[in-house]
Amino acid sequence: MSVILLPDVLRSEAYRLVRNRMAVFWSVFFVPLLFVLGGLIYHWVNKSKAAELAAAANLPADLLAAAPVNLMDGLGVGVSAMANGAVLVFMLIGAATLYAGDYRWETWRLTSARNSRVNLILGKVAVFKLAALATMATFLIAGLIFSLTEALIYGKSLTIDPEGFEAGQFVLLVLLAWVRIVQYAMIALLTAVVTRSLLASLFVPVVIGFAQSLLGGPGLPLLGWEPTQWQAQLLLPGLAYDTLKATIGGAPGQPEGLALKAIVSLTLWTLAPLAAAIAWFGRQDLSKE
Amino acid sequence: MTAVIETRALTKTYGTVRALDGLSLTIPRGGVYGVLGPNGAGKSTLFRILLGLIRPTEGEAMVMGARVGAGVGDVAASRRMGSMIETPRFPPFMTARQVLDWLSLAHGLTPDAALVSGWLERVGLTEAADRKVRGFSVGMLQRLGVAAALITEPELVILDEPTSGMDPPGIQEMRALIRSLSERDGITVVLASHQLLEVQRVCDRVAILNRGTLVREGSVTDLTSAGERLRLSLTPMAPAMAILGDRATVEGDALLASLPRAEAPALIRALIEAGIDIEEARWIGADLESVFMTETGSVQHVEAIR
Repeated sequence: MSVILLPDVLRSEAYRLVRNRMAVFWSVFFVPLLFVLGGLIYHWVNKSKAAELAAAANLPADLLAAAPVNLMDGLGVGVSAMANGAVLVFMLIGAATLYAGDYRWETWRLTSARNSRVNLILGKVAVFKLAALATMATFLIAGLIFSLTEALIYGKSLTIDPEGFEAGQFVLLVLLAWVRIVQYAMIALLTAVVTRSLLASLFVPVVIGFAQSLLGGPGLPLLGWEPTQWQAQLLLPGLAYDTLKATIGGAPGQPEGLALKAIVSLTLWTLAPLAAAIAWFGRQDLSKE
Repeated sequence: MTAVIETRALTKTYGTVRALDGLSLTIPRGGVYGVLGPNGAGKSTLFRILLGLIRPTEGEAMVMGARVGAGVGDVAASRRMGSMIETPRFPPFMTARQVLDWLSLAHGLTPDAALVSGWLERVGLTEAADRKVRGFSVGMLQRLGVAAALITEPELVILDEPTSGMDPPGIQEMRALIRSLSERDGITVVLASHQLLEVQRVCDRVAILNRGTLVREGSVTDLTSAGERLRLSLTPMAPAMAILGDRATVEGDALLASLPRAEAPALIRALIEAGIDIEEARWIGADLESVFMTETGSVQHVEAIR
């Protein structure tokens, strides 16, 4: 009975999120748009610099236009940027809206009589997963636009050359980026349920993410930890993501079992906040707004 | 009499405070049922338990045969019951029409444009149907809240203070709507309100709660007629007082006599035979407010303040 009702939550949450244009813009389109604009500026600046360098070295000015642009490289650029820090932070806007919106708008009482509380949470998580996929798809398009603008600005020809492109690797990287985005937003979910605050569900994951990135950078040597150790991988899901990205990319010299540690870390950081949020939500007095 | 809501020894405690204290109440199907009580009587707590927003500490509640708080959403019961608890709020970026579409989806229904327009018209929001909710007044939110409660075409609707924040014409429209929901659509309406005159006009039966317990329950007619008195405008007053004794009290230039209706003709004959001129004799019912004030002990509070 309970599982049958899950699609109802999914449809209604998706309907509501899509109509929240501000949240959709900032969480799905803003960073890819910034990426495209950044690429445009990068190519313009690079072209003028290259022209200056070519003139200084007595080389032909159209030398840069000689090599064609492979659109498949654009996909690679897109997939590598899918779960970067900016994406994670801006995706939080969508996550916080989804997870804390019912507390802010006091709308739990409109929906909670209908469905089980587990379904209400799982439905929201499922919609966030779809939103994350939408962001990632936008990033792939942004990657292609990056390549197109490169061709346009330099006057290069366009090719679609699948040589060197590994579909399996590409799919795994996309999947990994998706898991990382969803995992990071789980902190927003737990924060939303515990604090009932949209702002807290935005900022707590940012603070945790910032602390983890500090710990993963200068923090590890200070603690005397190696990035390959269990504690480092378990404490830092970002490090676990980088580890798995390197594993999929075929990075040489990875210690045996490191990928497993990273998988365990990402799994725990995804499922533990979800389980805690469901348990907390199950006991919550939803009439208190 | 089929019950749409039934509670058995329902208790809810918040720390040391007993918001509901073993409440057993049966609300019959059909008509408009009012739940009355002073602040803290347990009305909102009762409604919140019925909607599954909070869980009872002890006892149980049944809504249309389904036990509330069983842990799993019940498709049948939830679609058959609509609700509006306190002043409703909605996602501010949605229009009134979108809110109803969204709630249709949340209840597993495909949004029906004709149905949505129909309910918006019934609550008087046709012109505001495509306006964003963020600009709505409290009264408009109340109207949309009622439409939201009705979007699944339920058999039972629970309304908490449905006229709160409304202007007098809005209150009259809401009263007419509530009556029409019962009479035209056959929906059982359960409402809580502090406006006792409102309740008296719109409800068929009422329950009066105080400190989490049921102190009085019955039809509005029974409750108010139980305290009815015969108002006599007459002269001279002194011999009439002698005839009536302690059954009469003076109110201005009239006497209020407490006696069964069957004894009234004999009394009037006795007064006429005693040479008393009777200008007017009419029955006046006790209003719900006086019943409420008596049953909840509020009369003593008012007297103490005086």
